[in-house]
Amino acid sequence: MRTLHFTFPATVRAVRRAHVGVVGSGDLEVLFEPTADDVAVVRVRTSVEGFDEVWRSTLQRFFARTPVRGSWELNDAAATPALVTLRLQQAAHEAGPIEEAS
Amino acid sequence: MTTTMQALGAQAAGGAVDWERVLRRRSFLELDALTRAEALLDDGTTRVLCGPFDRLESPWLVPQDVTPQSDDGVVVARGTVAGAPAVVLSIEQAFQGGGIGEVSGAKISEALRLAARAPMPAVLLLETGGVRLQEANLGLNAVAEICAALLELRPLAPVIGVVAGSVGSFGGLSIATGLCTRVIVTPEARIGLNGPAVIEQEAGVEEFDAADHDLIWAVDGGVQRHRTGLADALVIDDAGALRDAVRDAVAAGVAPAGRHRSERLDVLDARLATVDPAAPPAPERLPSLWGGTYEPPTAQRRPEPDQAEPGSSGTRSSMRPSDRGRTWIAALAGAAPEPVIDSVLRADTADSTYLAVVPDPDNPWYRARQGQVGVTECAALARTIRAVVAQDDGRPQRRAIVAVVDLPSQAYGRIEEMTGLYQAIAAAVDAADAARVAGHPLVTLVVGQALSGGFLAHGLQASRILALDAPGVEIHAMHRQAAAKITRRTVEQLDQLARTIPPLSYDVRQWATLGFCDGLLPVSDADHPTDADVRGVAAAVRVAAHDARTGPTDLSRRLDSDQAKTVRKASRAVREALTAQWSTR
Repeated sequence: MRTLHFTFPATVRAVRRAHVGVVGSGDLEVLFEPTADDVAVVRVRTSVEGFDEVWRSTLQRFFARTPVRGSWELNDAAATPALVTLRLQQAAHEAGPIEEAS
Repeated sequence: MTTTMQALGAQAAGGAVDWERVLRRRSFLELDALTRAEALLDDGTTRVLCGPFDRLESPWLVPQDVTPQSDDGVVVARGTVAGAPAVVLSIEQAFQGGGIGEVSGAKISEALRLAARAPMPAVLLLETGGVRLQEANLGLNAVAEICAALLELRPLAPVIGVVAGSVGSFGGLSIATGLCTRVIVTPEARIGLNGPAVIEQEAGVEEFDAADHDLIWAVDGGVQRHRTGLADALVIDDAGALRDAVRDAVAAGVAPAGRHRSERLDVLDARLATVDPAAPPAPERLPSLWGGTYEPPTAQRRPEPDQAEPGSSGTRSSMRPSDRGRTWIAALAGAAPEPVIDSVLRADTADSTYLAVVPDPDNPWYRARQGQVGVTECAALARTIRAVVAQDDGRPQRRAIVAVVDLPSQAYGRIEEMTGLYQAIAAAVDAADAARVAGHPLVTLVVGQALSGGFLAHGLQASRILALDAPGVEIHAMHRQAAAKITRRTVEQLDQLARTIPPLSYDVRQWATLGFCDGLLPVSDADHPTDADVRGVAAAVRVAAHDARTGPTDLSRRLDSDQAKTVRKASRAVREALTAQWSTR
């Protein structure tokens, strides 16, 4: 198992926490909790080693489009980047309605 | 066609195909643990306790490089069923195959205990491969605690087992299925103690071909379990149909004492008498042989055989018979034990009854010849314990019941699964629990191996557990080779990990740190005990029996012992959080 930490700039405020997915083969769970800081703090725990750069670029793309402020915890059981993005979107949607921070 | 339609859930037990139902159904099988729970509770009433944000995850997975899940794969959901409070305990089969670990197990057992305090029905969604082998001994103990908690609730409110299907209900928790007030299945369900793959691995492809889909469903499948009276309701894979079935099952209330399957030793004995393991009936013959209700079968004679006798390969086993059980029961009782059956020995003293499962090279149930606990061993244990409890009714002091344990596991066999080994073990567990609750001191003494479902059947319901501190004494959820294979490790890797992760260890001294050991007893020779060895152990058993008389009759000591306070912190955190969240929020 590998634990990765990332921080991305974030401007969008979410109103509630969100939980999606399961740690089943090829899937992951995402736990999101809103915070007041202008960042998205991400912790990834993944069963697969050697994909640090894939994680960085997948998360970078997501948070560039959806810069939701808060703590993001990803527990991964070898999900593809496409599924990671889908679960993040689902979590962001569940955490809404989302407004631009003033 | 029939198989396809049954798989679609449009046709149950040979009825007409209901196309309307196929088109408008909402598949229950496709739902995850949370949405399965929501589907069974009244709309909008679900309240999840100890959910993902409580972060009660397993402390044992990260050190083994396994990604944990934030709720450890069990959803505890309170809500209402047809307007009345109920709790649903739903296992997430996608996470670790629904395997029960320390935290997920504690969530189930503590929720059942809380449900018993202000009695409300519990619905168990039992999709599980059994004990999570990464947490081996803590998972095995969790199953024993779940069984005891279930039996605490069952006289007060119905406990409904639902096996809808995909992973099936296998391993230790299949015993809990056998303890439920009522069991609901779909045609996709499977219930069995040992899964086909483990049987094939242990006994060879001649015993059980794990690639034979039809055979698996013929033996373990929901339709078969329902047709032989081991499940009460067979419903199609439809969320609405399952909700209706759960409502009906809850509305039927508690079953009268003595009427639960796991208490019906008359049925168990009579059914087993119709099966000759050397010439067993084919699975498809069982429904007519046994009938669809759990009552003694009317068939008097054993049917003509229609399964082939096993070849020499059918009786092969990696397990070696051991004499320790026989040696120690005789030594402790100070008299020659009497056979209940040839593989179950009983010895009586003025204040104690000793019981041991021992090897029997001529056991007609050929998968239980090396001392494994099989169907007839369970029936013999249950019958003996029930008789002791009945004899001591009204006496000022109930006898101690001492389980002398040296068993390589439960029996791995096709015929055992066909006849419902899980249901037989449930009978043994129920009897042991009933004896403990009635006030018999239950003491377990492990003198050799105590592995897996065998230990759940004989030993793990005790109020006190002692073990010899000697070579060859081993307590675990599964024997080394199989555990290594299933967790995709080598035996060496497993042993290496076990040095730092106590629940994984095969070393009894590590096991003794987990919080449920009441004494590790040094002896000079476990195989040929000296007089001093026997005196020392007998004294420890006496003290344990004496202490048990004044202790709790449930298994709560295992969570309140000094060692549990450090090693089982996670279980204790579950108990605390669930208790706090049960009624408020």
